Amino acid sequence: MTSPCKILMVDHLVAGYEPSAPIVNGVSIAAERGEIVAILGPNGAGKSTLVKAIAGLVPVAAGHIRLDGEDITTRPAHTLVRGGLAFVPQTENVFATLSVADNLKLASQALAAPQRAGRIKDVYDIFPDLARQQRLPAGRLSGGQRQMLAVARALIVSPKVLLLDEPSAGLSPKALDELFRKLLEISGSGVGVVLVEQNVRAALAVADRLYVLVEGRNRLEGRKHELTADPGLAALYLGGGNGRAAAARTVQ
Amino acid sequence: MSLQFLADGLVGGCTVALGAVGITLTYSILRFANFAHGEFISWGCYLTWLLAGAIGAWSIASAAALDPLSVGWNVVLAGVLAMALTGLLGVALDAVLFRPLRKRGASIAAVMASFGAAMALRALIELLFSSRPAYLSRELQIAIPIGAGIRVTPDQIALIAITAVCVGALHGLLSYTGIGRSMRAVSENPALARVVGIDVARVIRLTWFIGGALACASGVMLGLVVQIRPSMGADLLLPLFAAAILGGVGSVPGALIGGLIVGLAEAVTVQLVGAEWRTAVAFLVLIGVLLLRPTGLFGQAA
Repeated sequence: MTSPCKILMVDHLVAGYEPSAPIVNGVSIAAERGEIVAILGPNGAGKSTLVKAIAGLVPVAAGHIRLDGEDITTRPAHTLVRGGLAFVPQTENVFATLSVADNLKLASQALAAPQRAGRIKDVYDIFPDLARQQRLPAGRLSGGQRQMLAVARALIVSPKVLLLDEPSAGLSPKALDELFRKLLEISGSGVGVVLVEQNVRAALAVADRLYVLVEGRNRLEGRKHELTADPGLAALYLGGGNGRAAAARTVQ
Repeated sequence: MSLQFLADGLVGGCTVALGAVGITLTYSILRFANFAHGEFISWGCYLTWLLAGAIGAWSIASAAALDPLSVGWNVVLAGVLAMALTGLLGVALDAVLFRPLRKRGASIAAVMASFGAAMALRALIELLFSSRPAYLSRELQIAIPIGAGIRVTPDQIALIAITAVCVGALHGLLSYTGIGRSMRAVSENPALARVVGIDVARVIRLTWFIGGALACASGVMLGLVVQIRPSMGADLLLPLFAAAILGGVGSVPGALIGGLIVGLAEAVTVQLVGAEWRTAVAFLVLIGVLLLRPTGLFGQAA
């Protein structure tokens, strides 16, 4: 049974580029409307592969993905956005040779023609900086502005769920702060936000719930206040390796 | 020195340009050099010849020359139908040959397969139509003096106009329409294009269709000035690639300018050096661009 408030349910997902060597091995996660869910874990934990599989970019070998109760496991990637699932990849997440306006117009093509102009205007209202740079090729934006454009592009379709793969990567603290404030606004409007993060401190600042993956499997999950009080989080998050001490400090 | 080479070069350059636009589109969206593109030119011309004959036989009046042009309505109508058929030939070739290779991620295999497809398509023309030369028009045209010692025939003026319309329409499609925006997006980042909701398979089919249709237009233009032969498209392949690379792979205006430059360079060579050096010109242009400006005139570094 699908819980009515769970907008995204991923159930025992097995996924990877090669069927014989799955990177995600039976991961289950869920997100509610208006909730920010962070997926944490050490390098190689399968976090990015998980969100790419949800977005239809990595083949799924077993398990199910349900969006608002509908099984989308085998749906082609390009049809998911119309169903309400928007994805912001970690890198190359805007079309650098297209203008800011063309990036948004491109995304609006998933909507019915009469809705497009109005929705682009709505998104410009949320991101006024982008409105001022409509004609600029996206490749000439700063890293922070690009990330904003990528999120704006994803919001054009009024998604039910917004997936982000390491949105903090390469951003200055100021740009990161602004981006995460926008994510809080977006989740506040009822969108389920699922973000993969290496930056634990940043993720803890905005997330309502956390999942920790290790070696392609669920290791830990719970509400933020439960997990941050758990002394085992640092060790679980790290899974061993050189960065143990540094990450332990980050979590504390 | 006569300036006639300007007119001759412009007409030859238009033929090259329309073919080069198809090459540049296919390369930028599918990321491989399609050596079968020359055969689309031959097939387009032969299909036009076949259909023009059929339409002319059905309605003799349609075959009467459209004054001042050397061809009748039958060739015009056949050309339009053949553009659609050649476009579909491109879509079919992709479906049976290139799409399975793309799924395996074998782009070098696609290049080699395009050589094989070229040979098969050319052999099929010889089988179906024989190697005997054919003609779209046997009318003699009087060239009109337009000043500065330059003479052009009405057919040549029409060919330049057709090129301008085709390239202008394609540039407009790519720049100002949703499908053009989708094609530019797929060209830059196919994975992200899927994420934003673009049906990449549909864009690829459309690319093949447009490339094939423009190759047909190029073939008809070629067929109006030279004999129709099975190797007519293959002979044009080097100038096509020289033009596409000179213009900057992926740039439609670049392919047009590149085609015109190659055409003019060939015409100058014929006038100043000798016709036997014509073929070498495209090769020299190609080497020169690759050495001096590998991204071409309007290309962007990868």
